[in-house]
Amino acid sequence: MMAAATVSHRELPWYFAPLVVLTTGCVVAMVNFGIRSTFGHFTLPISEANLWPREIYSLALALQNLMWGVATPVAGMLADKYGPARVLMAGAVLYFIGMLIMASTGVPLLFHLGAGVIIGVGVALSSFGIVMAALGRIVPPEKRSWAFGIATASGSLGQYIFNPIAAAMISAYGWHTSLLVLAACTLLIIPFAVPLLVSNSTSAKTTAGETELTMRAAIAKAFGHRSYVLLTAGFFVCGFQIAFVTVHLPPYLAEHGISKEMAGFAMAAIGLFNVIGSYAAGIVGGRGGKRLPLSLIYVLRSVLVAGFILLPITPLTTMIFTSTLGLLWLSTVPLTMGLVTVMFGTRFMATLYGFVFLSHQIGSFLGVWLGGKLYDIYGTYDPVWWMGVALGLFAALVHLPIVEKRADAFAAA
Amino acid sequence: MTTFPGHRFALALFAVVIALWLVVMMAIMRNAALPPDATGPMLVVFEPGTTSQSAFAAITQAGGRPIRETTFGFIWVVDGIAGNFEAQGALGAYRELPISPTIAGCVAVADAKIAAAFGL
Repeated sequence: MMAAATVSHRELPWYFAPLVVLTTGCVVAMVNFGIRSTFGHFTLPISEANLWPREIYSLALALQNLMWGVATPVAGMLADKYGPARVLMAGAVLYFIGMLIMASTGVPLLFHLGAGVIIGVGVALSSFGIVMAALGRIVPPEKRSWAFGIATASGSLGQYIFNPIAAAMISAYGWHTSLLVLAACTLLIIPFAVPLLVSNSTSAKTTAGETELTMRAAIAKAFGHRSYVLLTAGFFVCGFQIAFVTVHLPPYLAEHGISKEMAGFAMAAIGLFNVIGSYAAGIVGGRGGKRLPLSLIYVLRSVLVAGFILLPITPLTTMIFTSTLGLLWLSTVPLTMGLVTVMFGTRFMATLYGFVFLSHQIGSFLGVWLGGKLYDIYGTYDPVWWMGVALGLFAALVHLPIVEKRADAFAAA
Repeated sequence: MTTFPGHRFALALFAVVIALWLVVMMAIMRNAALPPDATGPMLVVFEPGTTSQSAFAAITQAGGRPIRETTFGFIWVVDGIAGNFEAQGALGAYRELPISPTIAGCVAVADAKIAAAFGL
């Protein structure tokens, strides 16, 4: 059992108690990540209701992902300047407005603005990266990695629970009502973010040993720090692999004779084991170094993918593949966030993690796009699978030289 | 001095979330249940333990057309009249859901059992 950690603080209201703050932070992560993962269920009903080709909805979701990536560093800067809780609340409002537009418009341009741009920015502002930034400032250093793990696991759990709820609601109440209900759920982020205001309090804002640099200087110094650049390059690979599998694994399985229902089970297994993997990675990161576990995760992903595509594809190998991949899925997140904190402290962690995450999203875009593009050219997904294997080995290598200590420029003044 | 929670907290949090999720899913499934005169493709759920052959026989006796069997033999996707399936022993008939029929069927069974137990 993990040893109980303690921290001294002045008298605070009950809703700033660690138990409450952690619980509400996890709920925010669940709602944020869970609701955005349901949008795939609305592709057909919204396209059919508006007599749109599939492209209009797809473009909106592509824009949403792009905006999520681009807005994340900005969200991080705002969180570091005004506090994570306020940014989460603003994100919830944008998320809600974007979903209202999504539910009510039949005009493609407005739909792209709402479902694409506004939701994308809203998701970035209320994402679990911002939650982790809040938790990172509240929990003591020895519990930080664990807190990142539980926040990531909560996001994964949100994905797992909101998907069937959305699907069942569409059947029971229709897509329009379901979308409005889910939009209302995004507003839950606002009250649940209130306890995270504790991270703005004077007792938690700047801990001993934090840098006195300005934000602009901190960003410049971070990009001049070799380990940060290596970490950013490695996270690109994570995005590439995950996005490729999410979008292209179901059709790949169908091509190999795996039933639609078994494919559904296989994808659900990723989600379920992801909760365990993310949590476990947080524990591992808290007990020792973070770069070696990260390196190992990328090696294991490469070995796993190579084994999967070289062996005959059967329901059994598919389930083994997706379950194991689930364990390695977002397990990179607590370790990556942990490394950012080790190198730069907590003062600019949201901003600096934001740039690392942007690299992840660029990788995601390429994983999805190249998957389709190379399939059209070669008639098979094999080139992209092998690209993922090679990139995994590359990521494993680039993590090895990372120095796990506070960067000189970020050391205490 | 404040004590920070650990693994027990994580386990309890996730258990509570899963429990709430099941309640919400059951409530939604209840609303997805079809009235007796509903027709078309639907998910029919029999008593757990019903064999695939028995379920198939009940579906055909109800004048329904089996579309596909799920992982569990007591949950089928069929075409027909909802009331007829229930007359042949089905626990319920539901709109075909855009999620795994097996998962939907399992939630529907839980809902039907709770409804029967509490007379809902």
